[in-house]
Amino acid sequence: MEPATVAIDLALIAACGGLVGLDRRGAFQAMISQPLVAVPLLGALLGQLEVGLALGATLQLLWMSSMLFGANTPPNETLASMVAGGMVLLYGKHIATPDIAVMTIGILLAVPLGPLGRAIDVRLERLNLALSQRALAAVAESRVEIIDRLPWIALGRVFSIHAALIALGSGVGLIVLAAVHPLLDGAVLVAVATAGMYLVPALGLAVAFSLIRRRRGIALGLLTFVAVAIMLDHGGAG
Amino acid sequence: MTVAATASETPAEGTVGVGTLLRVLWRSFFFLSATNFERMQNVGFAYAMLPALRRLYRGRALDEAVERHLAFFNSHPYMAGALLGAAVRIEEDIAAGRRQPMEVEAFKRCMMGPFAAVGDSFFWASLRPFGAAWAVAGVLSGVIWAPLAFLLLYNLFHVAVRGYGLFAGHRSAEAIIQRIERIELVRLADRLHIATGLFLGATGALFADRAMRSPVGIGDGLEPFLLATLTVICVLCIKRKMAMPLLLYLFTGGCIALMAGLNALFPLID
Repeated sequence: MEPATVAIDLALIAACGGLVGLDRRGAFQAMISQPLVAVPLLGALLGQLEVGLALGATLQLLWMSSMLFGANTPPNETLASMVAGGMVLLYGKHIATPDIAVMTIGILLAVPLGPLGRAIDVRLERLNLALSQRALAAVAESRVEIIDRLPWIALGRVFSIHAALIALGSGVGLIVLAAVHPLLDGAVLVAVATAGMYLVPALGLAVAFSLIRRRRGIALGLLTFVAVAIMLDHGGAG
Repeated sequence: MTVAATASETPAEGTVGVGTLLRVLWRSFFFLSATNFERMQNVGFAYAMLPALRRLYRGRALDEAVERHLAFFNSHPYMAGALLGAAVRIEEDIAAGRRQPMEVEAFKRCMMGPFAAVGDSFFWASLRPFGAAWAVAGVLSGVIWAPLAFLLLYNLFHVAVRGYGLFAGHRSAEAIIQRIERIELVRLADRLHIATGLFLGATGALFADRAMRSPVGIGDGLEPFLLATLTVICVLCIKRKMAMPLLLYLFTGGCIALMAGLNALFPLID
Protein backbone atom coordinates (compact mmCIF):
# COMPACT_ATOMS: atom_id res chain seq x y z
CA MET A 1 0.00 0.00 0.00
CA GLU A 2 1.65 3.22 -1.24
CA PRO A 3 0.78 6.16 1.07
CA ALA A 4 1.12 8.66 -1.80
CA THR A 5 -1.31 6.72 -4.01
CA VAL A 6 -3.77 6.36 -1.12
CA ALA A 7 -3.53 10.13 -0.52
CA ILE A 8 -4.31 10.82 -4.18
CA ASP A 9 -7.27 8.42 -4.02
CA LEU A 10 -8.52 10.11 -0.84
CA ALA A 11 -8.36 13.49 -2.61
CA LEU A 12 -10.41 11.98 -5.44
CA ILE A 13 -12.90 10.56 -2.93
CA ALA A 14 -13.11 13.98 -1.21
CA ALA A 15 -13.85 15.78 -4.51
CA CYS A 16 -16.44 13.19 -5.55
CA GLY A 17 -17.96 13.16 -2.03
CA GLY A 18 -18.26 16.94 -1.97
CA LEU A 19 -20.03 16.98 -5.32
CA VAL A 20 -22.54 14.24 -4.49
CA GLY A 21 -23.14 15.94 -1.12
CA LEU A 22 -24.07 19.11 -3.03
CA ASP A 23 -26.50 17.17 -5.21
CA ARG A 24 -28.28 15.70 -2.22
CA ARG A 25 -29.36 18.86 -0.45
CA GLY A 26 -27.70 21.91 -1.95
CA ALA A 27 -28.09 21.91 -5.71
CA PHE A 28 -29.86 20.08 -8.54
CA GLN A 29 -31.23 17.05 -6.62
CA ALA A 30 -30.51 15.08 -9.79
CA MET A 31 -30.13 11.84 -7.73
CA ILE A 32 -26.38 11.57 -8.38
CA SER A 33 -26.20 11.41 -4.58
CA GLN A 34 -28.23 8.17 -4.47
CA PRO A 35 -26.03 5.24 -3.35
CA LEU A 36 -26.76 3.34 -6.55
CA VAL A 37 -25.24 6.15 -8.62
CA ALA A 38 -22.69 7.70 -6.24
CA VAL A 39 -20.89 4.50 -5.18
CA PRO A 40 -20.49 3.07 -8.73
CA LEU A 41 -19.29 6.53 -9.81
CA LEU A 42 -16.64 6.39 -7.11
CA GLY A 43 -15.90 2.80 -8.15
CA ALA A 44 -15.36 3.89 -11.76
CA LEU A 45 -13.01 6.69 -10.61
CA LEU A 46 -10.97 4.21 -8.53
CA GLY A 47 -11.00 1.51 -11.22
CA GLN A 48 -13.37 -0.75 -9.24
CA LEU A 49 -16.67 -0.33 -11.10
CA GLU A 50 -17.98 -3.85 -10.44
CA VAL A 51 -17.39 -3.59 -6.68
CA GLY A 52 -19.03 -0.15 -6.73
CA LEU A 53 -22.09 -1.52 -8.54
CA ALA A 54 -22.51 -4.49 -6.17
CA LEU A 55 -22.13 -2.32 -3.07
CA GLY A 56 -24.21 0.56 -4.46
CA ALA A 57 -27.15 -1.77 -5.23
CA THR A 58 -27.28 -3.09 -1.65
CA LEU A 59 -26.80 0.35 -0.08
CA GLN A 60 -29.55 1.81 -2.28
CA LEU A 61 -32.08 -0.66 -0.87
CA LEU A 62 -30.90 -0.17 2.74
CA TRP A 63 -31.25 3.63 2.54
CA MET A 64 -34.32 3.73 0.29
CA SER A 65 -36.54 5.24 3.00
CA SER A 66 -34.25 8.21 3.58
CA MET A 67 -36.29 11.00 1.98
CA LEU A 68 -36.53 14.77 2.32
CA PHE A 69 -40.24 14.96 3.22
CA GLY A 70 -41.42 18.48 4.06
CA ALA A 71 -39.32 19.99 6.85
CA ASN A 72 -38.04 16.59 8.05
CA THR A 73 -34.28 15.95 8.07
CA PRO A 74 -33.63 12.27 7.25
CA PRO A 75 -30.41 10.30 7.91
CA ASN A 76 -27.68 11.29 5.46
CA GLU A 77 -27.62 8.22 3.21
CA THR A 78 -25.06 9.82 0.90
CA LEU A 79 -22.50 10.25 3.68
CA ALA A 80 -22.98 6.69 5.00
CA SER A 81 -22.89 5.14 1.50
CA MET A 82 -19.92 7.12 0.23
CA VAL A 83 -17.86 6.26 3.33
CA ALA A 84 -18.78 2.56 3.01
CA GLY A 85 -17.97 2.72 -0.70
CA GLY A 86 -14.76 4.68 -0.14
CA MET A 87 -13.29 2.25 2.41
CA VAL A 88 -14.26 -0.92 0.50
CA LEU A 89 -13.05 0.45 -2.85
CA LEU A 90 -9.74 1.58 -1.32
CA TYR A 91 -9.40 -1.87 0.25
CA GLY A 92 -10.02 -3.41 -3.16
CA LYS A 93 -7.50 -1.17 -4.89
CA HIS A 94 -4.69 -1.30 -2.32
CA ILE A 95 -5.05 -4.52 -0.31
CA ALA A 96 -7.09 -7.32 -1.89
CA THR A 97 -10.23 -7.89 -3.94
CA PRO A 98 -13.10 -7.25 -1.51
CA ASP A 99 -15.31 -10.26 -0.89
CA ILE A 100 -18.84 -10.18 0.56
CA ALA A 101 -17.46 -10.20 4.14
CA VAL A 102 -15.35 -7.07 3.49
CA MET A 103 -18.36 -5.32 1.91
CA THR A 104 -20.55 -6.26 4.88
CA ILE A 105 -17.99 -4.98 7.41
CA GLY A 106 -17.75 -1.77 5.37
CA ILE A 107 -21.54 -1.32 5.48
CA LEU A 108 -21.64 -2.07 9.23
CA LEU A 109 -18.85 0.42 9.95
CA ALA A 110 -20.45 3.23 7.93
CA VAL A 111 -24.13 2.84 8.90
CA PRO A 112 -23.85 5.10 12.02
CA LEU A 113 -22.76 7.93 9.71
CA GLY A 114 -26.35 8.15 8.43
CA PRO A 115 -27.75 9.45 11.76
CA LEU A 116 -24.52 11.42 12.36
CA GLY A 117 -24.97 13.05 8.96
CA ARG A 118 -28.52 14.02 9.96
CA ALA A 119 -27.12 15.85 13.01
CA ILE A 120 -24.66 17.66 10.71
CA ASP A 121 -27.48 18.59 8.30
CA VAL A 122 -29.43 20.06 11.23
CA ARG A 123 -26.36 22.07 12.22
CA LEU A 124 -25.95 23.31 8.65
CA GLU A 125 -29.60 24.43 8.58
CA ARG A 126 -28.99 26.36 11.80
CA LEU A 127 -25.99 28.05 10.17
CA ASN A 128 -28.19 28.92 7.19
CA LEU A 129 -30.43 30.89 9.52
CA ALA A 130 -27.68 33.53 9.62
CA LEU A 131 -27.80 33.65 5.80
CA SER A 132 -31.56 34.25 5.90
CA GLN A 133 -31.05 37.06 8.40
CA ARG A 134 -28.28 38.49 6.22
CA ALA A 135 -30.65 38.48 3.23
CA LEU A 136 -33.25 40.44 5.21
CA ALA A 137 -30.57 42.90 6.37
CA ALA A 138 -29.35 43.28 2.77
CA VAL A 139 -32.86 44.25 1.68
CA ALA A 140 -33.13 46.77 4.53
CA GLU A 141 -29.82 48.31 3.39
CA SER A 142 -30.92 48.32 -0.29
CA ARG A 143 -28.11 45.92 -1.20
CA VAL A 144 -30.02 43.03 -2.78
CA GLU A 145 -26.92 42.00 -4.76
CA ILE A 146 -25.71 40.34 -1.52
CA ILE A 147 -28.47 37.73 -1.97
CA ASP A 148 -26.72 36.57 -5.17
CA ARG A 149 -23.83 35.33 -3.05
CA LEU A 150 -25.67 33.70 -0.14
CA PRO A 151 -26.56 30.32 -1.73
CA TRP A 152 -22.92 29.91 -2.75
CA ILE A 153 -21.77 30.35 0.85
CA ALA A 154 -24.19 27.61 1.91
CA LEU A 155 -23.08 25.37 -0.98
CA GLY A 156 -19.44 25.88 -0.02
CA ARG A 157 -20.18 24.64 3.49
CA VAL A 158 -22.05 21.57 2.25
CA PHE A 159 -19.26 20.71 -0.20
CA SER A 160 -16.48 21.16 2.38
CA ILE A 161 -18.18 19.14 5.12
CA HIS A 162 -19.10 16.26 2.82
CA ALA A 163 -15.66 16.21 1.18
CA ALA A 164 -13.84 16.25 4.54
CA LEU A 165 -16.06 13.67 6.28
CA ILE A 166 -16.18 11.25 3.35
CA ALA A 167 -12.40 11.35 2.83
CA LEU A 168 -11.73 11.05 6.57
CA GLY A 169 -14.28 8.26 7.03
CA SER A 170 -12.93 6.33 4.03
CA GLY A 171 -9.32 6.66 5.25
CA VAL A 172 -10.10 5.63 8.83
CA GLY A 173 -12.43 2.91 7.55
CA LEU A 174 -9.67 1.48 5.34
CA ILE A 175 -7.34 1.25 8.35
CA VAL A 176 -10.03 -0.42 10.50
CA LEU A 177 -11.04 -2.78 7.69
CA ALA A 178 -7.42 -3.78 7.05
CA ALA A 179 -6.89 -4.36 10.79
CA VAL A 180 -10.17 -6.17 11.57
CA HIS A 181 -10.53 -8.48 8.56
CA PRO A 182 -7.42 -10.64 9.23
CA LEU A 183 -8.38 -10.94 12.92
CA LEU A 184 -11.71 -12.62 12.16
CA ASP A 185 -11.54 -16.38 12.51
CA GLY A 186 -13.17 -18.84 10.12
CA ALA A 187 -16.59 -19.14 11.76
CA VAL A 188 -16.99 -15.38 12.32
CA LEU A 189 -15.90 -14.63 8.76
CA VAL A 190 -18.42 -17.15 7.38
CA ALA A 191 -21.09 -15.62 9.65
CA VAL A 192 -20.33 -12.11 8.37
CA ALA A 193 -20.37 -13.36 4.76
CA THR A 194 -23.69 -15.16 5.41
CA ALA A 195 -25.14 -11.99 6.91
CA GLY A 196 -23.94 -10.05 3.87
CA MET A 197 -25.40 -12.58 1.48
CA TYR A 198 -28.84 -13.02 3.12
CA LEU A 199 -29.56 -10.59 5.97
CA VAL A 200 -28.35 -7.36 4.40
CA PRO A 201 -30.26 -7.85 1.11
CA ALA A 202 -33.34 -9.05 3.04
CA LEU A 203 -33.26 -5.95 5.22
CA GLY A 204 -32.78 -3.75 2.15
CA LEU A 205 -35.73 -5.41 0.41
CA ALA A 206 -37.83 -5.00 3.57
CA VAL A 207 -37.01 -1.27 3.72
CA ALA A 208 -37.95 -0.89 0.05
CA PHE A 209 -41.13 -3.01 0.31
CA SER A 210 -42.29 -1.03 3.33
CA LEU A 211 -42.42 2.08 1.11
CA ILE A 212 -45.03 0.55 -1.20
CA ARG A 213 -48.43 1.99 -0.38
CA ARG A 214 -50.48 -0.30 -2.63
CA ARG A 215 -51.17 -3.86 -1.54
CA ARG A 216 -51.33 -4.87 -5.19
CA GLY A 217 -47.69 -3.80 -5.50
CA ILE A 218 -46.65 -6.10 -2.64
CA ALA A 219 -48.67 -9.02 -4.09
CA LEU A 220 -47.11 -8.44 -7.49
CA GLY A 221 -43.67 -8.36 -5.86
CA LEU A 222 -44.29 -11.73 -4.24
CA LEU A 223 -45.47 -13.27 -7.52
CA THR A 224 -42.51 -11.84 -9.42
CA PHE A 225 -40.13 -13.16 -6.77
CA VAL A 226 -41.50 -16.70 -7.18
CA ALA A 227 -41.61 -16.50 -10.99
CA VAL A 228 -38.07 -15.12 -11.39
CA ALA A 229 -36.69 -17.55 -8.79
CA ILE A 230 -38.20 -20.50 -10.72
CA MET A 231 -36.90 -19.10 -14.02
CA LEU A 232 -33.38 -18.64 -12.63
CA ASP A 233 -33.45 -22.09 -11.03
CA HIS A 234 -34.42 -23.68 -14.33
CA GLY A 235 -31.89 -21.57 -16.21
CA GLY A 236 -29.18 -22.58 -13.74
CA ALA A 237 -30.20 -26.25 -13.89
CA GLY A 238 -30.27 -26.11 -17.68
CA MET B 1 -46.66 52.48 0.03
CA THR B 2 -49.29 51.82 -2.63
CA VAL B 3 -48.66 49.74 -5.69
CA ALA B 4 -49.42 52.67 -7.97
CA ALA B 5 -46.92 54.86 -6.14
CA THR B 6 -44.27 52.13 -6.28
CA ALA B 7 -44.89 51.61 -9.95
CA SER B 8 -44.78 55.32 -10.72
CA GLU B 9 -41.45 55.83 -8.88
CA THR B 10 -39.74 52.97 -10.67
CA PRO B 11 -41.35 52.29 -14.00
CA ALA B 12 -41.47 48.66 -15.11
CA GLU B 13 -39.10 47.61 -17.86
CA GLY B 14 -41.82 45.50 -19.44
CA THR B 15 -42.62 41.85 -19.13
CA VAL B 16 -40.12 39.16 -18.22
CA GLY B 17 -38.70 37.53 -21.36
CA VAL B 18 -37.68 33.95 -22.11
CA GLY B 19 -34.01 34.68 -21.37
CA THR B 20 -34.84 35.93 -17.87
CA LEU B 21 -37.16 32.98 -17.27
CA LEU B 22 -34.33 30.64 -18.23
CA ARG B 23 -32.12 32.38 -15.67
CA VAL B 24 -34.86 31.88 -13.06
CA LEU B 25 -35.03 28.21 -14.09
CA TRP B 26 -31.25 27.80 -13.70
CA ARG B 27 -31.33 29.44 -10.28
CA SER B 28 -34.23 27.20 -9.23
CA PHE B 29 -31.74 24.29 -9.21
CA PHE B 30 -30.17 25.92 -6.12
CA PHE B 31 -33.53 26.27 -4.40
CA LEU B 32 -32.63 24.13 -1.34
CA SER B 33 -29.12 25.54 -0.91
CA ALA B 34 -29.76 27.83 2.06
CA THR B 35 -32.66 25.96 3.71
CA ASN B 36 -33.04 27.06 7.34
CA PHE B 37 -35.38 26.15 10.19
CA GLU B 38 -37.00 29.57 10.54
CA ARG B 39 -38.02 30.48 6.98
CA MET B 40 -37.06 27.24 5.19
CA GLN B 41 -36.33 27.93 1.49
CA ASN B 42 -36.87 31.71 1.54
CA VAL B 43 -33.32 32.56 0.42
CA GLY B 44 -33.50 30.01 -2.42
CA PHE B 45 -36.84 31.42 -3.61
CA ALA B 46 -35.67 35.05 -3.48
CA TYR B 47 -32.39 34.09 -5.20
CA ALA B 48 -34.30 32.41 -8.03
CA MET B 49 -36.73 35.35 -8.38
CA LEU B 50 -34.00 38.03 -8.50
CA PRO B 51 -33.35 38.08 -12.29
CA ALA B 52 -37.08 38.60 -12.92
CA LEU B 53 -37.51 41.16 -10.14
CA ARG B 54 -34.54 43.16 -11.47
CA ARG B 55 -36.32 43.38 -14.83
CA LEU B 56 -39.47 44.68 -13.20
CA TYR B 57 -38.31 47.01 -10.43
CA ARG B 58 -35.62 49.50 -9.50
CA GLY B 59 -34.56 51.10 -6.20
CA ARG B 60 -36.88 50.84 -3.22
CA ALA B 61 -39.53 48.96 -5.20
CA LEU B 62 -36.97 46.24 -5.91
CA ASP B 63 -36.13 45.98 -2.20
CA GLU B 64 -39.82 45.65 -1.34
CA ALA B 65 -40.35 43.02 -4.02
CA VAL B 66 -37.35 40.99 -2.83
CA GLU B 67 -38.57 41.26 0.76
CA ARG B 68 -41.92 39.75 -0.29
CA HIS B 69 -40.05 36.65 -1.42
CA LEU B 70 -37.93 36.35 1.71
CA ALA B 71 -40.99 35.30 3.73
CA PHE B 72 -41.37 31.70 4.94
CA PHE B 73 -41.51 29.29 2.03
CA ASN B 74 -41.42 25.50 2.06
CA SER B 75 -42.23 23.37 -0.95
CA HIS B 76 -40.85 20.62 -3.15
CA PRO B 77 -37.79 21.78 -5.14
CA TYR B 78 -39.05 20.41 -8.47
CA MET B 79 -42.59 21.77 -8.06
CA ALA B 80 -41.21 25.16 -7.04
CA GLY B 81 -40.63 25.82 -10.76
CA ALA B 82 -44.39 26.19 -11.25
CA LEU B 83 -44.70 28.45 -8.21
CA LEU B 84 -41.76 30.57 -9.40
CA GLY B 85 -43.30 30.96 -12.86
CA ALA B 86 -46.67 31.98 -11.42
CA ALA B 87 -45.00 34.35 -8.94
CA VAL B 88 -43.09 36.04 -11.79
CA ARG B 89 -46.37 36.53 -13.66
CA ILE B 90 -48.10 37.99 -10.60
CA GLU B 91 -45.09 40.28 -10.02
CA GLU B 92 -45.44 41.53 -13.62
CA ASP B 93 -49.04 42.46 -12.82
CA ILE B 94 -48.03 44.11 -9.54
CA ALA B 95 -45.31 46.13 -11.31
CA ALA B 96 -47.88 47.24 -13.88
CA GLY B 97 -50.28 48.26 -11.07
CA ARG B 98 -52.90 45.64 -11.95
CA ARG B 99 -52.62 43.76 -8.63
CA GLN B 100 -51.79 44.29 -4.97
CA PRO B 101 -48.38 43.07 -3.61
CA MET B 102 -50.16 40.93 -1.02
CA GLU B 103 -51.59 38.73 -3.80
CA VAL B 104 -48.25 37.10 -4.60
CA GLU B 105 -47.64 36.38 -0.92
CA ALA B 106 -51.14 34.90 -0.53
CA PHE B 107 -50.66 32.77 -3.64
CA LYS B 108 -47.36 31.35 -2.38
CA ARG B 109 -48.75 30.74 1.11
CA CYS B 110 -51.76 28.84 -0.23
CA MET B 111 -49.97 26.82 -2.88
CA MET B 112 -46.64 25.77 -1.34
CA GLY B 113 -48.23 23.04 0.82
CA PRO B 114 -50.30 21.28 -1.86
CA PHE B 115 -47.45 21.48 -4.39
CA ALA B 116 -45.03 20.07 -1.80
CA ALA B 117 -47.43 17.19 -1.11
CA VAL B 118 -47.72 16.33 -4.81
CA GLY B 119 -43.94 16.57 -5.33
CA ASP B 120 -43.09 14.52 -2.24
CA SER B 121 -45.63 11.87 -3.11
CA PHE B 122 -44.69 11.58 -6.79
CA PHE B 123 -40.95 12.21 -6.92
CA TRP B 124 -39.59 11.18 -3.53
CA ALA B 125 -42.01 8.40 -2.59
CA SER B 126 -42.86 6.92 -6.02
CA LEU B 127 -40.59 7.76 -8.96
CA ARG B 128 -37.33 7.49 -6.99
CA PRO B 129 -38.11 4.05 -5.43
CA PHE B 130 -39.43 2.83 -8.78
CA GLY B 131 -36.35 3.96 -10.70
CA ALA B 132 -34.02 2.66 -8.00
CA ALA B 133 -35.77 -0.76 -7.80
CA TRP B 134 -35.59 -1.09 -11.58
CA ALA B 135 -31.91 -0.10 -11.63
CA VAL B 136 -30.97 -2.41 -8.72
CA ALA B 137 -32.62 -5.32 -10.56
CA GLY B 138 -30.68 -4.25 -13.66
CA VAL B 139 -27.34 -4.16 -11.82
CA LEU B 140 -27.96 -7.61 -10.32
CA SER B 141 -28.75 -8.92 -13.82
CA GLY B 142 -25.39 -7.62 -15.03
CA VAL B 143 -26.60 -4.43 -16.75
CA ILE B 144 -23.79 -2.06 -15.78
CA TRP B 145 -25.42 1.01 -17.33
CA ALA B 146 -28.58 0.60 -15.21
CA PRO B 147 -27.63 3.43 -12.78
CA LEU B 148 -27.05 5.74 -15.75
CA ALA B 149 -30.45 4.78 -17.20
CA PHE B 150 -32.02 5.47 -13.77
CA LEU B 151 -30.46 8.95 -13.79
CA LEU B 152 -31.72 9.66 -17.31
CA LEU B 153 -35.25 8.38 -16.64
CA TYR B 154 -35.57 10.24 -13.36
CA ASN B 155 -34.14 13.51 -14.62
CA LEU B 156 -36.27 13.41 -17.75
CA PHE B 157 -39.31 13.77 -15.47
CA HIS B 158 -37.55 16.07 -13.05
CA VAL B 159 -36.29 18.65 -15.56
CA ALA B 160 -39.50 18.42 -17.61
CA VAL B 161 -41.67 19.19 -14.55
CA ARG B 162 -39.36 22.04 -13.46
CA GLY B 163 -39.23 23.58 -16.95
CA TYR B 164 -42.86 23.01 -17.87
CA GLY B 165 -43.96 24.25 -14.45
CA LEU B 166 -41.99 27.48 -14.75
CA PHE B 167 -43.19 28.40 -18.25
CA ALA B 168 -46.76 27.20 -17.69
CA GLY B 169 -46.83 29.04 -14.37
CA HIS B 170 -45.67 32.21 -16.10
CA ARG B 171 -48.35 31.84 -18.76
CA SER B 172 -51.24 31.03 -16.47
CA ALA B 173 -50.43 32.46 -12.99
CA GLU B 174 -52.94 30.97 -10.49
CA ALA B 175 -54.40 28.69 -13.18
CA ILE B 176 -51.17 26.63 -12.93
CA ILE B 177 -53.02 24.56 -10.32
CA GLN B 178 -55.40 23.19 -12.98
CA ARG B 179 -52.51 22.56 -15.38
CA ILE B 180 -50.57 20.56 -12.79
CA GLU B 181 -53.76 18.70 -11.82
CA ARG B 182 -54.16 17.65 -15.45
CA ILE B 183 -50.83 15.78 -15.38
CA GLU B 184 -52.41 13.46 -12.75
CA LEU B 185 -49.17 12.90 -10.88
CA VAL B 186 -50.98 11.33 -7.91
CA ARG B 187 -52.59 8.63 -10.08
CA LEU B 188 -49.28 8.02 -11.82
CA ALA B 189 -47.64 7.67 -8.38
CA ASP B 190 -50.07 4.85 -7.50
CA ARG B 191 -49.15 2.98 -10.67
CA LEU B 192 -45.46 3.42 -9.97
CA HIS B 193 -45.93 1.86 -6.52
CA ILE B 194 -47.35 -1.26 -8.13
CA ALA B 195 -44.52 -1.42 -10.69
CA THR B 196 -41.96 -0.92 -7.88
CA GLY B 197 -43.28 -4.09 -6.22
CA LEU B 198 -42.69 -5.99 -9.45
CA PHE B 199 -39.04 -4.93 -9.70
CA LEU B 200 -38.40 -5.51 -5.99
CA GLY B 201 -39.71 -9.08 -6.38
CA ALA B 202 -37.29 -9.64 -9.25
CA THR B 203 -34.48 -8.07 -7.17
CA GLY B 204 -35.19 -10.52 -4.32
CA ALA B 205 -35.00 -13.50 -6.68
CA LEU B 206 -31.74 -12.19 -8.16
CA PHE B 207 -30.24 -11.80 -4.66
CA ALA B 208 -31.28 -15.41 -3.90
CA ASP B 209 -29.67 -16.55 -7.15
CA ARG B 210 -26.45 -14.75 -6.21
CA ALA B 211 -26.51 -16.50 -2.81
CA MET B 212 -26.97 -19.91 -4.50
CA ARG B 213 -23.81 -19.40 -6.54
CA SER B 214 -21.75 -18.13 -3.58
CA PRO B 215 -19.54 -20.19 -1.22
CA VAL B 216 -22.03 -19.51 1.59
CA GLY B 217 -24.97 -20.98 -0.32
CA ILE B 218 -26.97 -23.34 1.92
CA GLY B 219 -27.78 -25.79 -0.88
CA ASP B 220 -30.92 -27.72 -1.89
CA GLY B 221 -32.32 -24.56 -3.49
CA LEU B 222 -33.41 -23.23 -0.11
CA GLU B 223 -31.86 -19.77 -0.62
CA PRO B 224 -35.04 -18.12 -2.02
CA PHE B 225 -37.07 -19.40 0.97
CA LEU B 226 -34.47 -18.17 3.45
CA LEU B 227 -34.26 -14.76 1.79
CA ALA B 228 -38.07 -14.44 1.56
CA THR B 229 -38.50 -15.45 5.23
CA LEU B 230 -35.86 -12.98 6.38
CA THR B 231 -37.46 -10.23 4.28
CA VAL B 232 -40.88 -10.87 5.85
CA ILE B 233 -39.35 -10.82 9.37
CA CYS B 234 -37.56 -7.54 8.56
CA VAL B 235 -40.78 -6.01 7.13
CA LEU B 236 -42.62 -6.93 10.34
CA CYS B 237 -39.86 -5.33 12.43
CA ILE B 238 -39.91 -2.17 10.29
CA LYS B 239 -43.70 -1.98 10.66
CA ARG B 240 -43.06 -1.97 14.43
CA LYS B 241 -40.97 1.18 13.90
CA MET B 242 -37.58 -0.51 14.38
CA ALA B 243 -34.87 1.49 12.62
CA MET B 244 -32.78 -0.05 9.83
CA PRO B 245 -29.37 0.47 11.56
CA LEU B 246 -30.67 -1.22 14.74
CA LEU B 247 -32.01 -4.21 12.78
CA LEU B 248 -28.77 -4.48 10.82
CA TYR B 249 -26.64 -4.68 13.96
CA LEU B 250 -29.12 -6.89 15.81
CA PHE B 251 -29.45 -9.48 13.03
CA THR B 252 -25.77 -9.49 12.05
CA GLY B 253 -24.73 -9.78 15.71
CA GLY B 254 -27.23 -12.61 16.16
CA CYS B 255 -25.95 -14.37 13.04
CA ILE B 256 -22.32 -14.14 14.22
CA ALA B 257 -23.20 -15.31 17.75
CA LEU B 258 -25.27 -18.24 16.39
CA MET B 259 -22.64 -19.44 13.93
CA ALA B 260 -19.73 -18.99 16.34
CA GLY B 261 -21.71 -20.84 19.04
CA LEU B 262 -22.67 -23.69 16.71
CA ASN B 263 -19.09 -23.96 15.48
CA ALA B 264 -17.85 -24.16 19.07
CA LEU B 265 -20.26 -27.05 19.75
CA PHE B 266 -19.90 -28.84 16.42
CA PRO B 267 -16.61 -27.68 14.87
CA LEU B 268 -17.06 -27.59 11.07
CA ILE B 269 -15.18 -24.44 10.11
CA ASP B 270 -11.45 -23.96 10.85
